Amino acid sequence: MRVKLKSGPDQRKFIERIEELSGENVFACYQCGRCSAGCPMASEMDLLPNQIIRMVQMGLDEEVLRSKTLYLCASCFTCESRCPKGIDMARVMEAVRHVLDPKGQDAFGPCELTPELARELPQQVLVSVFRKFAK
Amino acid sequence: MKLHYYPGCTLKDKTTGLDISTREAMKRLDVELVEPDGWTCCGAEYPLTGEKIAGLAAPIRVLRQVRDEGGDIVVTTCSFCYSVLKRSNKALRDDPVKRKRINAFLRDDIQIDPLTKERTTGFADYNGEVQVLHLLEYLRDRVGFPRVRERIKRDLGMLPVAAYYGCRLLRPKEEMGFDEPDSPHLFEEFLEAVGCAAVDYPFKQECCGSYLAVSMPDAATEASYRVLRSAKMNGARAITVTCPLCFYNLDHRQETIKTAYLDFAGLPVLFFTQLLAWALGVDKALLGLGDHKVPADALFVERPAPEVRT
Repeated sequence: MRVKLKSGPDQRKFIERIEELSGENVFACYQCGRCSAGCPMASEMDLLPNQIIRMVQMGLDEEVLRSKTLYLCASCFTCESRCPKGIDMARVMEAVRHVLDPKGQDAFGPCELTPELARELPQQVLVSVFRKFAK
Repeated sequence: MKLHYYPGCTLKDKTTGLDISTREAMKRLDVELVEPDGWTCCGAEYPLTGEKIAGLAAPIRVLRQVRDEGGDIVVTTCSFCYSVLKRSNKALRDDPVKRKRINAFLRDDIQIDPLTKERTTGFADYNGEVQVLHLLEYLRDRVGFPRVRERIKRDLGMLPVAAYYGCRLLRPKEEMGFDEPDSPHLFEEFLEAVGCAAVDYPFKQECCGSYLAVSMPDAATEASYRVLRSAKMNGARAITVTCPLCFYNLDHRQETIKTAYLDFAGLPVLFFTQLLAWALGVDKALLGLGDHKVPADALFVERPAPEVRT
């Protein structure tokens, strides 16, 4: 994949913010790819988990924040349990979602549910999907 | 014996089968389940970023109530509740900053007695005193599988059943400490204790799609299909779950899965407590099989247990 490298205070701030929010050292990653190999949602993703973390390392904020991968992470922690460097990728994903939209737009909000679906769904799925994807 | 039991929101409404069968089964094991007074939703998701500390308030309030009622253990059956309660409890034990901030916030809670209208406030700090256990852990460590075997009244005839762990029971390993994340065996031990034959299959700890069933239904359909197909290909006649969301994805969405993947013919989905309750002699009407979209009635055949069991 071809990417244009950037370097500046914005990039540094982005990386620091992700590390602060997630509590993970993103530079520990050496791109072995085990997170992407085990990810149950990898087939649907435009950027694989290891590509996301590489782009965070390079401070490519716009590319990461545009990715639909952020909304395909089910926080199943398969990547966390397999990472040889002990990085919790689910925390990195959550941190990226957190900085994503300061204006407060829902990626998936209550208005996207039909009344029939809302009646059928178990409560816990509604609580968790809004916790993850709504502001 | 009394034991604190946190059912969680979904068990009181959408998956009452899990709640009823748990209560009936535990009665047969001489355990009386008591709900903590005034419990609320645990929040379903443990906050993964350090700044969303408010997400810890709800689960800690539940745990503090258990402690104030004199309980030292709380059991849950839902994987999401188990994960949130256990991780929040550990966070308060290990992280002095979180402990201080959450306690400073919860100290000023006001509790109003519904009858006397008396107001209580000034709660004592909670420091992680309660132990959070999943019912499977409780059965293994406190009741013991040999004792479960002794109480068995009905023979399940070595029914081949697949144990489905899903994501939240096992991971993250350091925080959950439930079993080995890549080669778990607790659920299989349980199934063998109640008289089933545990089916080994490679997708038992894979994700079913979780909450993506709402926001990205196609992705969740594929993930659930992979789990069900793998269980079926390895000879399972049913798949057992602990989580109401896994149940929704595997059972309620099975029609969608069948439409999308024509090679899949269907597989009944059960809660682990339904098998336990049936084996312990609970009436079929009390298993809560009415919630199932895929009929599971035929799996429960009346057969008395043989006299001698080891």
